[in-house]
Amino acid sequence: MLSTNRRQFLGGAASLAVVAPWAKVGLAQETQGVHSILNDLIRQYAAAASSMTNPSVRDLYEQDGFQDYLEAYPVGDLVDGFVWEPGMGAEFEGPYSNLPIKAPFTDYIPLDEGPVLDPDRTYRIGFVFHGFNHPWLISLADTVAWEAARHPNIELEVIDAEFDDSRMGQVIDTWITRQFDGIVLWPAREAPMGPPVDRAIEAGIPVVSLDRRTSSSAISSEVLGNFYANGLQQGLYLKHVVSEGNMVLNRKDLGSTADSIRTGAFLQAIGNTDGFEIVGNYHTNSQRSLAFDATADALQANSQFDISFNTGGEEALGALGAIEEAGRLNSGSSGKIIILANDDAKEIMANIRSGAIDMVAPYTPLIGDVGLRALIRHIGANEGRNEAPPRLIITPNLPMVTRTNMTIEGVQTLTPDEWLYAYGPAVE
Amino acid sequence: MSASADHPRPRPSLFASSLRIARDPLVLLILAILVLGSLTSEYYLTMRNLETLLRFMAVIGLLSLGVTIVMLTGRIDLSVAAIMVFSVISAVVFTKLLGGWIGERWVVRGNSFVGPASVVFLATLVVGCVLGLMNGIGIAHFKVSSFIMTLVTLTALRGGNYILTDGHPYYLQSDAFRWVGNADFLGIPFSFLVFCSVLAFLAWLMGRTNFGRHVYAIGGNEKAAIYAGLKTNRIVILTFMISGLCSAVAGILFTSRLASVDAPLASGYELTAIAIAVIGGTALSGGVGSPWRTLLAAVAFAAGLNLLSIWGVSTWYQNLAIGLTLLIAVGLSPASRKRLQL
Repeated sequence: MLSTNRRQFLGGAASLAVVAPWAKVGLAQETQGVHSILNDLIRQYAAAASSMTNPSVRDLYEQDGFQDYLEAYPVGDLVDGFVWEPGMGAEFEGPYSNLPIKAPFTDYIPLDEGPVLDPDRTYRIGFVFHGFNHPWLISLADTVAWEAARHPNIELEVIDAEFDDSRMGQVIDTWITRQFDGIVLWPAREAPMGPPVDRAIEAGIPVVSLDRRTSSSAISSEVLGNFYANGLQQGLYLKHVVSEGNMVLNRKDLGSTADSIRTGAFLQAIGNTDGFEIVGNYHTNSQRSLAFDATADALQANSQFDISFNTGGEEALGALGAIEEAGRLNSGSSGKIIILANDDAKEIMANIRSGAIDMVAPYTPLIGDVGLRALIRHIGANEGRNEAPPRLIITPNLPMVTRTNMTIEGVQTLTPDEWLYAYGPAVE
Repeated sequence: MSASADHPRPRPSLFASSLRIARDPLVLLILAILVLGSLTSEYYLTMRNLETLLRFMAVIGLLSLGVTIVMLTGRIDLSVAAIMVFSVISAVVFTKLLGGWIGERWVVRGNSFVGPASVVFLATLVVGCVLGLMNGIGIAHFKVSSFIMTLVTLTALRGGNYILTDGHPYYLQSDAFRWVGNADFLGIPFSFLVFCSVLAFLAWLMGRTNFGRHVYAIGGNEKAAIYAGLKTNRIVILTFMISGLCSAVAGILFTSRLASVDAPLASGYELTAIAIAVIGGTALSGGVGSPWRTLLAAVAFAAGLNLLSIWGVSTWYQNLAIGLTLLIAVGLSPASRKRLQL
């Protein structure tokens, strides 16, 4: 696999992937094409970021140091030339959520059902994350547990560290003591998880992080989502439908990869459109209630409120709740407050369908299986059975979902009915 | 006022002391946990696991010691965890500015702090003391309830953490931080040795000095202490400064272990610290408790949690276990106090 950070990408080291047709949904767009198209757009807007003309956007972009984070975020190709098409993936019931799931990437870094590696050995694997109370995170855990259940000689221990980084570190230390065979983790924040991961690696235990990164330079693999493409598409959509307006940002906790990359990429996309004014900037930390309160405050403070940017689905739903409660959904300069979301929860899709939320950039939590398969490959590599997977495992860029099909700067959007991978409880 | 403060008893013989310690329910609980752990897991009593346990205990134990000293005056300190993180963050920011003044760049790309760790350590301790002083002044001189005052401090410092960092972590990259976070002597983590030193000092302070006797006197009956001529305000302020200092020391150990400091770290640790002090028999109403019993409680707490982790018990059940233990400790405290004659 060729993978690189954006700086190398800008230097032209990255090659763009092969194009394959999206026959199953009958769309002209090609899946690997959207991965490439979005990577290309990332390059284009990143290059333009140094000359932002919108002072409101530029000030925030510089103040929060987004450039540093974006430059370090890997952008590249998929492992083993994998080509993903809509419709791919397995269907099952989530072991934790008990909800029907269609996971998109179950064919990525494939592994047959049945015993893995040495069939006479039981492999003990720990999965530590935060938040059994969050639909995105439960879905993540669902896919890890589903993959583990396909292999009878894998014993999976799942621990919720409840957003306490130190506790997550202690859990990892305990697994090192118990000589686990491998560890998968979802780190909420990068910085504190580096040392425990380093200790595990030092003890010979491979570690794979999901979705977010750690500060460890020794980690075995990082399964990364498409944060960059998320934020960028929010900006592309906004620019496509309006060219001005007052906006309020509901962001995740500052310092998290999701916030740094999505918000940064969004600002890159709109940085040269002068009509946008950021009138509110809140950190609502993935909590619907906090996003509700922040948006309600912003509605009070601003008679002209046109755009709600949200770095996550929970934020978007909180914002929508506040806007609807204030009776101002159909206000704003474009006749409706534009709500931009991330995370493809079924609840979000229902609101896209109804027109309440305008777009969502899917960020699927259904990637835990990829992480576990990568970890098993690492364990196999330690046993001399196979080659280790690459350190950076990038998941395919996914196209945005809008109420109707649109083509925005070469990106063809999907409708909620065409998007099969929404997670969480069904909402009509 | 506790009996020990009014009428010091003759010092018991070593045998009598040992017997009393051996009969202490916390000691029995620790022994039970260790035996259970060794019987149910081959890993529980390994050096590696004991190291993990002691490192955890050092941080949470230091916070608990600070809380204990404050609680002995009949007050409470909810700001210990916030001070722990804020003192390090503000020390790093101060050192960064100091570097700027002398033309050195001590925070480099990626928010990595590469300046002198000794300055950060010193500044952390100073900030911890100053914050404790502020708490103490508000409570002693301005008569703000300790609950309210330290709650306000907690909230303000949590906000301050974000303001000072812009939400971005500082990576603590120098060898000194790595050493503090990871060093051990004969298998005993450095952080635990620091905890033991602070414990020994506080035990001496509380058990062998007039200051300690005055703290117990204030907690036992503050009015009587005032009528007896004690400068209660000064003593209360000092207890909060001790608590702030303990938090700062804990902050150095905690962030060195993580090799970073981040605004949201250690949320909720103040409740764990208070829980340990209460489990150790420190009365919420003041006048009863001791650093040694806080040590026992911290050992029992850390050993118990570690055993649950070794068993793979979910953190929900671990929290439930903490809650139940606290409930039992609070319920039993009047009886055990009477029996142990603390």
